[in-house]
Amino acid sequence: MTSQAVRKTLKEVKPILSLNRDEARRRVLNLYKTWYRQLPYIVQTYDIPVSVDKCKKKLREEFTKYSESNDIRLVDMLVIKGQMELKEVVNVWKQKGHIMAYFKDTVEPKPKDFLSKFLNGKD
Amino acid sequence: MLLRPILSKLVRNRPLNSPLIQNASRVFSTEVEKLEETRPTVRKPNPVARGQLADFGKYVAECMPKYIQKIQITAGDELELLIAPEGVVPVLQFLKDHHNAQFTNLSDIAGMDVPARPYRFEIIYNLLSVRFNSRIRVKTYTDELTPIESCNDVHKAANWYEREIWDMYGVFFSNHPDLRRILTDYGFEGHPFRKDFPLSGYVEVRYDDEKKRVVVEPLELAQEFRKFELSAPWEQFPNFRNANPASEEVPTDKK
Repeated sequence: MTSQAVRKTLKEVKPILSLNRDEARRRVLNLYKTWYRQLPYIVQTYDIPVSVDKCKKKLREEFTKYSESNDIRLVDMLVIKGQMELKEVVNVWKQKGHIMAYFKDTVEPKPKDFLSKFLNGKD
Repeated sequence: MLLRPILSKLVRNRPLNSPLIQNASRVFSTEVEKLEETRPTVRKPNPVARGQLADFGKYVAECMPKYIQKIQITAGDELELLIAPEGVVPVLQFLKDHHNAQFTNLSDIAGMDVPARPYRFEIIYNLLSVRFNSRIRVKTYTDELTPIESCNDVHKAANWYEREIWDMYGVFFSNHPDLRRILTDYGFEGHPFRKDFPLSGYVEVRYDDEKKRVVVEPLELAQEFRKFELSAPWEQFPNFRNANPASEEVPTDKK
């Protein structure tokens, strides 16, 4: 009974790339590995003031940001965008500023406790 | 001398000014009544060309009943085919290769975003037949995650147009040879032509003198969320109260 109800609410959709969850997962892992292997070369070519270890941490952070997304098509779309970005990085279409934009090193953290909020003039 | 008859005609055409009758005309404005264009400064659609377009539309609908959902004529004499998203390549191929169509020139691909619809994006292909000096518009629909088949194999011009649509709306075109950004900067996030993209964008870019490079910072929006109420209590275009409807459907015999 419940399975029937569930089946009714599911919509038949056109896949982007992957047909099932395993395939989508494999694509994500492939993308992660390719980025991971590219990191030392990225640090070298762009001459960024960040260590490879920090880059790895950032890469992991960028991937785990979307760990909540379960829709296969959404995962595929994110993988496609990730691949396009990797291509932009590898072909040096991006510049140093674009790479450093991931690290957000000029963004001041938002005030959290009462006193700093007060000093910032925000509530 | 010359102006007088035109002016008197204008005065005669104006609807009565009593508020009750105005309201009545607003209520019944959904009724389709065909108005003959009499103003001398407005282009009148050619009824012969119109008939030919309607016939051609019916013919195409008969040839490809699987894909064509609706045929309509807008702005008096512009033919539009409303098709299912699976039919983009076959319909464009048909229109290109059919001897009596020869729409060999893809003038433009446009996008449209209506967030209230179940399929929020509309993709519009503008075609030109140089042989018959005629234009046609092919419309289809999609949402954020449904891919559309790329028509790059049919029209080479589609390459950059589809990249534009991808960049501005985030509609994915499958089998595109080189789908990547074309108008936005590297690292830009979001698709600017979507209706839910704020006018100011999400980030601010400036040159930092200490870092000696361009830095990207999140933008502080003055308002967290803004609801645009577009409907107004007053009537916006009273002169168009009795205007002809924007599009007219061409009846096709569907089974």
